[in-house]
Amino acid sequence: MALLEVTHLTQFFGGLRAVSDFNIQLEHGEIVGLIGPNGAGKTTVFNVLTGVYTPTKGTIVFDGQNIVGRKTHQIAQAGIARTFQTIRLFGKSSVIDNIKIAYHFRMSYSNTDAFLHTRKYWQGEQLVDDYAIDLLRLFHLEGHAEDISGSLPYGAQRRLEIARALATKPKLLILDEPAAGMNPAEADELMEMIHWLRDKFDLTILLIEHQMRVVMGVCERIKVMDFGETICEGVPEYIRNDPRVCEAYLGKGA
Amino acid sequence: MTFLRAHRTIATVIAFVLVYVIVKVLSILPLVNGEPLLNKYYIQLIVLAGINIVMTVSLGMVNGFTGQFSIGHAGFMAVGAYTSAMITTVWLHTSAANPWVAYPVFIAAILTGGLLAAAAGYLVGAPSLRLKGDYLAIVTLSANELIRTVIRVTEVLGGPRGLGGIPKLTTLEVVFVFAIVSVVLMRNYLFSSYGRSMKAVRDSEIAAESMAINTTRQKVFVFVFSAFFAGVSGGVFAHLLQFIHPDNFSFVKSLEYLIYLYVGGSTSISGAMVGPAIFTLLPELMRGLQKWRLVIYPLILILVMIFRTEGVMGLKEFNFILIPQRQRKEVSA
Repeated sequence: MALLEVTHLTQFFGGLRAVSDFNIQLEHGEIVGLIGPNGAGKTTVFNVLTGVYTPTKGTIVFDGQNIVGRKTHQIAQAGIARTFQTIRLFGKSSVIDNIKIAYHFRMSYSNTDAFLHTRKYWQGEQLVDDYAIDLLRLFHLEGHAEDISGSLPYGAQRRLEIARALATKPKLLILDEPAAGMNPAEADELMEMIHWLRDKFDLTILLIEHQMRVVMGVCERIKVMDFGETICEGVPEYIRNDPRVCEAYLGKGA
Repeated sequence: MTFLRAHRTIATVIAFVLVYVIVKVLSILPLVNGEPLLNKYYIQLIVLAGINIVMTVSLGMVNGFTGQFSIGHAGFMAVGAYTSAMITTVWLHTSAANPWVAYPVFIAAILTGGLLAAAAGYLVGAPSLRLKGDYLAIVTLSANELIRTVIRVTEVLGGPRGLGGIPKLTTLEVVFVFAIVSVVLMRNYLFSSYGRSMKAVRDSEIAAESMAINTTRQKVFVFVFSAFFAGVSGGVFAHLLQFIHPDNFSFVKSLEYLIYLYVGGSTSISGAMVGPAIFTLLPELMRGLQKWRLVIYPLILILVMIFRTEGVMGLKEFNFILIPQRQRKEVSA
């Protein structure tokens, strides 16, 4: 059974149809790309999947449950984690606190334990500290653990955002333009990292990306959108040679 | 010292107790012409500073650490003040009772006041905190004025004449215990997973929600316990002044707490303690300046906002506030 199954998804904003009849099936362990020119509706699809918007029409079945109408945090608890197009770290918190925050919903102590700093509190804190530092080590961020996250260099912030998403222990990771603002060398590292993430954390990955080199290099399957419609779908080689895709990006006659 | 570093709650308590001992000694030792340095009036100011510290720290939980803009904190103080005063004064007449009866009644009364204030906080916060944005400011402002006006027209509560004859049960000792317990509880909460979630809501609500945090529930809970501490402060306040009037709890009072908070530093518990301490005690120290002190007061606010936008303390905390860092084992790869 597919991990994520989206059928006939349509999203209106007033009279504007941002996404129309969008269908996608993600199998466990796949890396799938979603591309298209600006305004094609890619980020809207992400926002619908994560519960920021409730779709006008259509169903989203994730891991056997219908998640339409659920709140964002409930969907995150069900196992969909995301990163943002523009980095949205908890800028005034330390690097390690960013990770701990994402682990919050798994913490077992109550509000009362928090007020009184009971034994349960100290046990919980030790547990989450061990978990967070281990995760930071995997992303080579342990040296920055106590730094304020907003003061990290750009590349490290990107890594931290992915590490933070993983701290919720998701089944599906969605990345919104992870290579934005990266130079070719950094983008190469990112591509390696995406493959490593999938294998290490047993993930399924859906990503939006504008750098074609990254999309073609990392995705096993690509879906192309334009004006809210899906215009093409297939393996990278097929997409590269499809005239409709060239037309969407470059215009007719190119 | 190592022990204190490991047990910061004890360190916090010791810090408060030290301040208490100094104040107490200065109020007894005849240093100036056979009179103690701190007369009754100064002691009253210090007690007031203690109440203001709890008010400001609790306001900081909402405004500074959760990033919501509440501007009606005095309304919850009024709920606590009137509830506790009604219990001790009108219903149970504790003024005539001996201390062994009066104090348990007093404690029960201020806690009841806190609970009613928390209930009021829930009624105000639950609908308005669901929305993102500045709605909370408008709603809390209105709630503050609503509470004040309702008290003004309620004859049982003394109406526009105010409520007098409240027994003076708030002493220096009461306020120190009250301030220690309140600040330690709120400090503990802040340094927990829930406290981290509060800061997450402040830094990016949408990211917090995407990281599986029920932001609405977190915001409402913080708002409710903040109102609780404001209510208890109100009760302590009423039993200090012995006379309360609805206009004691107007929007201007709420504004004062906002000023204390933002001058001290809204993103620091230490700041929320320094701010009210400065502003409660400073006007007295500047008494020689007479009318000019009213000019210095806003001048301080302007200067702090220009040169230290984040308040006197910024993000810093006093050492006795912080929770010790755990030593992590180095792992060689």
